[in-house]
Amino acid sequence: MFDRAAAIDDAFIRRVKARDLPESNAGALADAGLSNADLVALFDTQLMSRHLDLMARRTKGKTYYSIGSAGHEAMAAVARAVRPDDMAFLHYRDAGFVIERRKAVPGASVLYDMALSFAASADDPVSGGRHKVLGGKDIMVPPQTSTIASHLPKAMGAAHSIGLSCQGTRTLSRSSIVVCSFGDASANHSTAQGAINAACWAGYQGSPMPILFVCEDNDIGISVPTPGGWIEANFRSRPGLHYVAGDGTDLIDTYATAKRAADHVRRARKPAFLHLKTIRLMGHAGADVEAGYRRLREIEAVEARDPLLKTAGQLVAFDILSPDEINARYEAMRARVMRVAEAAFTRPKLATAEAVKASIIPPKHRDRNFPPAPQHTKKRPPDADKSVPMSRHINRALDEILAQIPEALLFGEDVGRKGGVYGVTQGLRARFGPARVMDTLLDEQSILGIAIGAAHNGFLPIPEIQFLAYVHNAEDQLRGEAATLSFFSDGQFTNPMVVRIAGLGYQKGFGGHFHNDNALAVFRDIPGLILACPSSGRDAARMLREAVRLAYEEGRVVVFLEPIALYNTVDLESTGDKRWAETYVPAIDDTPINIGEPGITGPGDDVTIFSYGNGIYLSHQAASSLQNEDNIKVRIVDLRWLVPLNVEGIVAEAQKARALLIVDECRRSGSVSEAIMTHLFEAGISVPTKRINAEDSFIPLGTAATITLPSRDQIVAAVRTLDEAAS
Amino acid sequence: MKETALVVCPGRGTYNAAELGYFAKHHSDKPDLLAVVEGARDETRQPTISELDGAASFKMSRHGTGDNASALIYACALGDFLAIDRERFDIVAVTGNSMGWYLALACAGALSHRNGAELVNSMGTLMHNEGEGGQIVYPVVDENWRPDPAKEALVQQMLAASSESQFIATSIRLGGLHVFAADRAGLSYLSKHLPPVDDRYPMRLVHHAAFHSALLTPIIKKARANLPQSIFEAGQIPMVDGRGMVWMPQAFDLGALYRYTLGHQIDQTFDFSAAIDVAVKEFAPDRIIVLGPGSTLGAPVAQQLIRMNWRGLTGKQDFKAQQATSPFILSMGIDEQRARVVATA
Repeated sequence: MFDRAAAIDDAFIRRVKARDLPESNAGALADAGLSNADLVALFDTQLMSRHLDLMARRTKGKTYYSIGSAGHEAMAAVARAVRPDDMAFLHYRDAGFVIERRKAVPGASVLYDMALSFAASADDPVSGGRHKVLGGKDIMVPPQTSTIASHLPKAMGAAHSIGLSCQGTRTLSRSSIVVCSFGDASANHSTAQGAINAACWAGYQGSPMPILFVCEDNDIGISVPTPGGWIEANFRSRPGLHYVAGDGTDLIDTYATAKRAADHVRRARKPAFLHLKTIRLMGHAGADVEAGYRRLREIEAVEARDPLLKTAGQLVAFDILSPDEINARYEAMRARVMRVAEAAFTRPKLATAEAVKASIIPPKHRDRNFPPAPQHTKKRPPDADKSVPMSRHINRALDEILAQIPEALLFGEDVGRKGGVYGVTQGLRARFGPARVMDTLLDEQSILGIAIGAAHNGFLPIPEIQFLAYVHNAEDQLRGEAATLSFFSDGQFTNPMVVRIAGLGYQKGFGGHFHNDNALAVFRDIPGLILACPSSGRDAARMLREAVRLAYEEGRVVVFLEPIALYNTVDLESTGDKRWAETYVPAIDDTPINIGEPGITGPGDDVTIFSYGNGIYLSHQAASSLQNEDNIKVRIVDLRWLVPLNVEGIVAEAQKARALLIVDECRRSGSVSEAIMTHLFEAGISVPTKRINAEDSFIPLGTAATITLPSRDQIVAAVRTLDEAAS
Repeated sequence: MKETALVVCPGRGTYNAAELGYFAKHHSDKPDLLAVVEGARDETRQPTISELDGAASFKMSRHGTGDNASALIYACALGDFLAIDRERFDIVAVTGNSMGWYLALACAGALSHRNGAELVNSMGTLMHNEGEGGQIVYPVVDENWRPDPAKEALVQQMLAASSESQFIATSIRLGGLHVFAADRAGLSYLSKHLPPVDDRYPMRLVHHAAFHSALLTPIIKKARANLPQSIFEAGQIPMVDGRGMVWMPQAFDLGALYRYTLGHQIDQTFDFSAAIDVAVKEFAPDRIIVLGPGSTLGAPVAQQLIRMNWRGLTGKQDFKAQQATSPFILSMGIDEQRARVVATA
């Protein structure tokens, strides 16, 4: 009674044989523009999807993933209704879409590859055995695991990028659209709501946003029913959003409505919402016993609406296939899927940690070479010979990067017209135009989503998150999406980007947690992610160029953390000394700073300080007085690259030192200093070592703003103590 | 329980001296088939299949020309297909090499036997009369049938030498063999620059034009003028074409099949390796039955299986061992393997 897979399987055969099939609307096929052969081909796709689901339910221990597509198989018709080059970001129940699209690719094996994926075999050409994903480079479907709505922002971003002009190479054609599907329960997720809102925001004001959202509404999210009519009520009247509804259990109606909606999106370049009423068969996943929260009568009523029976009814009613032919086809596909699956089960699995990790960092053989640095401009900038602070260095470096890389885009809140809340992007919109330097709406998930999506389309996004604290509400776009793409696609897909984030403490005359956040922990445990943090203007420009190269040439996701307090700092010890300002050196005349390369200054070998960002500035202040007052010579090692840490370099410096001080402006708990201490310990470094950190506190406002942070005086005192201990 | 089988249809060059009398030997019980194939031939200027098959000796100049070779192979292979014991084998898909695609269409029911014969005869005649250039075969595997990167690189080097003055392209990817299509200058370049292997390669195929290459594009128009789309049918068995595309019965557009068969298939690379790859992965058959005449197609199939590491095959030795115990590939052109396939009287 509770083996619903068997019940659904048996019911199909029985009802087809007995011609107990749903009624069909004669003429619907021709009206939809489909041929008899099209309907049979789509039915085959439904059969493939269904038998893969049944196979997965019956091969526990050999397959590792049982969230099925049963009840949603008519998504095959959506694949038919859009173009094969329309990039699709898919719901985890969309095997029908994937199969239909891949069937049209010469040389592609459809069932076998799916079976490899179910079996988590290393041979799986999509993820290399890392996850059951729906996707593939050959079908323009970036692989997606069973995430909840986290793919909507990037779908919106990819759609947005289609309308942007680009002189470089791009993946999507100007006439293509983006398809993005999700379930009714996921539609409630703030990520989904944010992405749909961002699409509407663009559509409402006439900006190109060619995206087809497809909500596969099966009335339930695991065990929680979606209120009747909720999806329609929620999305029918959104500003800028064209709403179309169809019967997602009916291939022909799904095709017709999807075609209408897709045609609208393609023509109007505006978002549409295709609401497909589907059903969910066999529960949420293999381990989910539906009878625990749904009455049997209800379950059976849903099963009676099996979309495969609907298609069977149409095939019989239109005299395309007889009931016997349908059942023969059904059984032949069952046998075929089982044979294919058995073959796939014999294939190797990932066997070592190295093999699992192999695709965290994308392979280096990319087809993009970093363009040469721009030549000197005829008209020299007015401040070319002046010593300028970090904000001007970053501004000039961005200017050069936009000129150098035609695919580069700069965007974020207030980066365009205003030129950034700290003026870092001033003048860039005027120079490169609003299609390359853009203001976005106020939503960090959307900003990072635009970055990921635009990167899928060949752009090099340089998004800005206005303040470090704001990244936390959008963290998953980096952690769950951007950073995992190469991993889950076996290195075939990348979303290179440089995320500029203004952050850290010490802002003069200001304060408050949200504008001075000093927590980097969020970036420290994301495999593959790079975190850079400069401490001076010239370093900032050189490191930013390397960050952009890493993204452009190597497909990496880089976070570039800019210490706000140093943006406009020019003096080190006394007003007017200008020791923290330098003239800007254009890229063509400058030497690069490679990833991991530290900045080492100071002659001394009495005490070595490891630090970064504002800590470097404070350490230099301390070093002056230590040398003058105590004749203690310190060496300052600017780590520059905080993730991954250059452990070898750190240990090598530590081995030369008499004593070590770590100055870390982030909190004592969870800061980089913890990792450095661990590495030093593991390397057997036994010289006197201390660390100075920010307190485990949030940052207050006003004069108390820096009380919890490391200070010059603390560094001086700590070095004195260490020097004494080492003597 | 029936075994599942993938049927692989042979291409040109499989009826040689050793196959003389093949039809008479194996298919004397199929006069209807013979009549159908003979019916498509122009008796005023073409010898009959019976005459060719029953000749006292094999003459390349007679048996090996386009229209004669094609019709002979068609009759023999289709006869073999009909001889498969369907009580023991459930044929789950058909594919073929080059001209074998026409046979696959006929085996699958996408062409009637008669229309298949018309197609084969028409195309064979067109190739004989108007086919330009030729084919050269070269191995891309080592002696153990494993992919040889150095030879593969060499092939790429040869392809890169194609220019306005000499045409060189990939005609067929044939398992462990690479078949080049080339014009006269290209053929001479290849013969000169490909180092000899096994005293056999580079091997020029006699009476073969530059099949599956742009040199044959002019033939497409004539082929379509000779053969209407209406000869194609919805089929009964899945087919895998020379791109590795699956055509499921009743689920394809007849116009698309027509355009592929008398289009892409004529002037683009025929990827037999992809066809085997997809057919094997997507239908996972218990056996592969290679139709006669001849058995030369068995090796390319095996080489592709080795490349895929299918059933754990890593090289020729494994394959031979597997064939000795429970052969995965059953070549009907080899008597002892044929015996495992055909119905016993």
